[in-house]
Amino acid sequence: MRILTHVLMICLAVIFLFPFYWLFISAFKAKEQIFTLPPQFLPHPWLVQNFVKVFHETNIVRAFFNSTIIAAGHCSLSVFLCSLAGYAFAKFPHAPGRNRLFAFVLATMMIPGAVTLIPVFVVLCKIHAINTYWAMILPGAAGAFGIFWMRQYILDSVHNDLIDSARIDGCGEFGIYWRIVVPIAKPALAALGILSLIGVWNNLMWAFIVLRTDDMLTLPLVIYLLNGELRTPYETIMAASLIATLPLVIAFLLFQRQFIQGITAGAIKG
Amino acid sequence: MWRHRHFYLFISPFFVLFGVFGLYPLLFSFYLSFARWDGLTELTWAGLGNFATLAHDEVFFTSLWNTLAIGILYVPPMFIGAFVFAIILNTAWLKFRGFFRAAFFMPVVTPMVVVSIVFILLYGEEAGLLNYLATRIGAKPIPWLVSEQWSKPAIAVLLVWRWTGYNMVLMLAGLQSISHEYYEAAKIEGAGPFQRMWHITLPLMRPIFIFCSIMSLIGTVYMFDEVFVLTQGGPGTSSTNFGLYLFNVSFVDFKFGYASCMAYTVAFFVFITSLFILRLRRSGLN
Amino acid sequence: MGSGAPSHNTALAAICVSSLALIGATFASEPLALDPNVSAADLTGDIQVWGWNIAAASLDKLVPPFNEIYPKVRVHVNMTGANLQSRFLLSLSAGVGAPDISQLQLAEAARYSRTRRLTDLTEVARKYEKDFPASFWKNCVFEDKVYSIPWDMGPCAVFYKRDLFARHEIDPASIETWDNYIAAGKLLLERSGGRVKMLALGTGNMEGLFEILLQQNGGQMFDDEDRIAINSPQARRVMSVIRKILEAGISANLTPYTHAFYASFTTELVATYPSAAWFGGTIKDYAPGTSGNWGVFRLPAMEPGGLRTSNLGGSVLVIPDQCPQKAAAWAFIEYTLCTREAQIEQYRNFDLFPAFLPTHSDPFFDAPDPFYGGQKVRRLFSQDIERIPPLNRTKDWFEALRYLTQSLSKWYADGMGSTEDFLAQLEDKLSRRLGRDVAPREPSEGS
Repeated sequence: MRILTHVLMICLAVIFLFPFYWLFISAFKAKEQIFTLPPQFLPHPWLVQNFVKVFHETNIVRAFFNSTIIAAGHCSLSVFLCSLAGYAFAKFPHAPGRNRLFAFVLATMMIPGAVTLIPVFVVLCKIHAINTYWAMILPGAAGAFGIFWMRQYILDSVHNDLIDSARIDGCGEFGIYWRIVVPIAKPALAALGILSLIGVWNNLMWAFIVLRTDDMLTLPLVIYLLNGELRTPYETIMAASLIATLPLVIAFLLFQRQFIQGITAGAIKG
Repeated sequence: MWRHRHFYLFISPFFVLFGVFGLYPLLFSFYLSFARWDGLTELTWAGLGNFATLAHDEVFFTSLWNTLAIGILYVPPMFIGAFVFAIILNTAWLKFRGFFRAAFFMPVVTPMVVVSIVFILLYGEEAGLLNYLATRIGAKPIPWLVSEQWSKPAIAVLLVWRWTGYNMVLMLAGLQSISHEYYEAAKIEGAGPFQRMWHITLPLMRPIFIFCSIMSLIGTVYMFDEVFVLTQGGPGTSSTNFGLYLFNVSFVDFKFGYASCMAYTVAFFVFITSLFILRLRRSGLN
Repeated sequence: MGSGAPSHNTALAAICVSSLALIGATFASEPLALDPNVSAADLTGDIQVWGWNIAAASLDKLVPPFNEIYPKVRVHVNMTGANLQSRFLLSLSAGVGAPDISQLQLAEAARYSRTRRLTDLTEVARKYEKDFPASFWKNCVFEDKVYSIPWDMGPCAVFYKRDLFARHEIDPASIETWDNYIAAGKLLLERSGGRVKMLALGTGNMEGLFEILLQQNGGQMFDDEDRIAINSPQARRVMSVIRKILEAGISANLTPYTHAFYASFTTELVATYPSAAWFGGTIKDYAPGTSGNWGVFRLPAMEPGGLRTSNLGGSVLVIPDQCPQKAAAWAFIEYTLCTREAQIEQYRNFDLFPAFLPTHSDPFFDAPDPFYGGQKVRRLFSQDIERIPPLNRTKDWFEALRYLTQSLSKWYADGMGSTEDFLAQLEDKLSRRLGRDVAPREPSEGS
């Protein structure tokens, strides 16, 4: 029975991983081979030209750079803002209006992004932030869920004694945040950061809307725009897709635990 | 108040950003629902005109129907799969747990653009792998992406592949948070595995199920990337879900007023449905 | 926070005011004026052009001869077809990312002109006004300023298969009016035992034929004050022709530009295709083996002696206002659209019928075309172009066309009710959906 289960699970895991395998080999196939019958399970020969073509015909290096900057900016901003606010809500019990403000924060979680698409676009147009990194970094950086999650974590794991003694020692409020709270909350920060990362790195729709020139495109956008060409260059697309997928997949394999933690955080407490 | 200035200082970035990118857009969008504006020329007042148009918009209702159909096609298999996988991964004797978890979760971290493009290859009418395998076992090839009947199932299959791992991980966490004492007490009382499942596991998993349901609901309604890349909503409007239609009205037709009206209306109904689902949670906890 | 009524009102007022600030931003477009001190040899620039398939290819081919006159202007023709409208509008709204030149359909030129995000070309282009058909020029002008330049057009005629006509003894010369056409269709149906249909008319897509007939007749969707003017005697006549075609059963219900539609070029199901000059390119693309079997006869008139042509389709080129190198962009447009040799080249190589009238006297127009059995079709297409009445399109043309298509489809599915009712309902629907008044009715002439 156990053997059967293991066999079954292995088969299913293979099925789930199959599209990745197909992506991998297609990236090395010549264009004609991608659509031949019968489908080829191994490229003959293994073409590295596709990757060379990608670097020549698209701006993929620049796109990688853009995606990285945007991800770094968005995640760090998000983590910073949420942890700062989370700390404030957790450890300042006497501030007037705190509970009502926190309830307000929670209420904002119910606003669907779809309703705000157009106005945010218009606002960004008017402040001339369209086609800049800010257009991708700012919207959504302050998420109510992040604050909720950080507040919960800080409440549970940062002891008031630590904070009080730091205050007695003359440490400024921001210093307390930076030197005491942040180190303790690192796991939660990592989880939140990763959640943000997945959201912004893979984002296509918003990138399509706000990034308007070739030098500002992100990775998913570069791949998508290749797809619309008249004679679809599938071999280039597959090679570019492989390049775009690798960073997050590698990050995931290295930091599996943090990824999972980030995902499950909301479900358990929420 | 001044004593607590740090509190206000620390929460102000959130409120500023929220004000600019959350609250203001929310109100402006509401205002736009009653107007006609293309973002480029002057805005004109439309009163309830947009809502009247919405009530007669055949494509809008088609998109809602498509959303529902896609949801019905992919959510049950995905849920069941996720739950079964979670249970199996939760058993003590399973080996390679990390490998399985990674394998099923990997689709979640992949860009949707890439996933959709790979599936375009797999779904090819003559040379796609799936149809090739079908012909090998004697079945007829399926016109996945070019037929109005099969475009929704094509998307549904992709979604099952994509989201099973995500829900599995959530459910696994839920399973792991159920205290063993419950099971031990039940075993002592002679309850068999199915009874344990029915009386302990399922009820205690209710919050997770509800969370997953709401996430799936919101995800299906507003889903964009998959449909945009895989089928562009076609052929015709057969796979246009609400997310894609909203995008088309907003940023292809540039009818900002009408789009806002549509977004608000649907958001309202999604909200009501979410509340309803949440109510199930409250009634279940005892 | 206090929650008295006054603070609510002030908040609301603040939102409204700031919203208006966001919304109201008229871009004043300065007319393009050329610096007379810069000669063609010295003009520099690096321009991006957006277009779709054949049209873009034809521009690309013209870059080398263009560079002989303007050696320092570099031109990149971008052939991305995907989401072009979306990306173009997004870039126009945002003020960044638009190309230096973009292709647009003639039917959308009005919409884009009204955005005030296009360069005012009046000063440099006004001198070409007489070189383009009036019906085209009208759509390129807004508030007396020129915003787009006509490129290719689609003068209408009927493509027919010589073998089918010969076999069933239908003489194309005998078809002068739509009534003649329909009668010929009935004869064809009879003589072929019901197998051969006169034309392909997808009941879910009748707007193409409707537009051809409406423009031929001088009908309008919108009057000069942009009010809904569809409920007119001209439209009634159009509906009468369509009704007669459908009632006679002489049309094959094929959705245009689908696999089945293209297949009909080589089968014996459909004998004629009333369409525009560019349609020839489509036939050549999809059925090159049928060369020599095609012929063209002039579009049937509404009544004897009436206008025997119309227009369907056509493109223009525009320069978005954000373009930093307008002089260079204009040089390219002027060369490709306003010179005889460039326009003839495009017709010769890519079947793009020139809207630039001076080309029509070129001997190329009188050369026999083997694809049409040696017929001089180009001269045929060029006849009476100046007599085509202009069609007032406004910015809502495509949306109105969508409603028209849906209404026609429904009208047919519901058994083809009275024309009077149909037009009244369409008029009402357009008025409500587009937020426009209805134009006062002309006295009815009866259909």
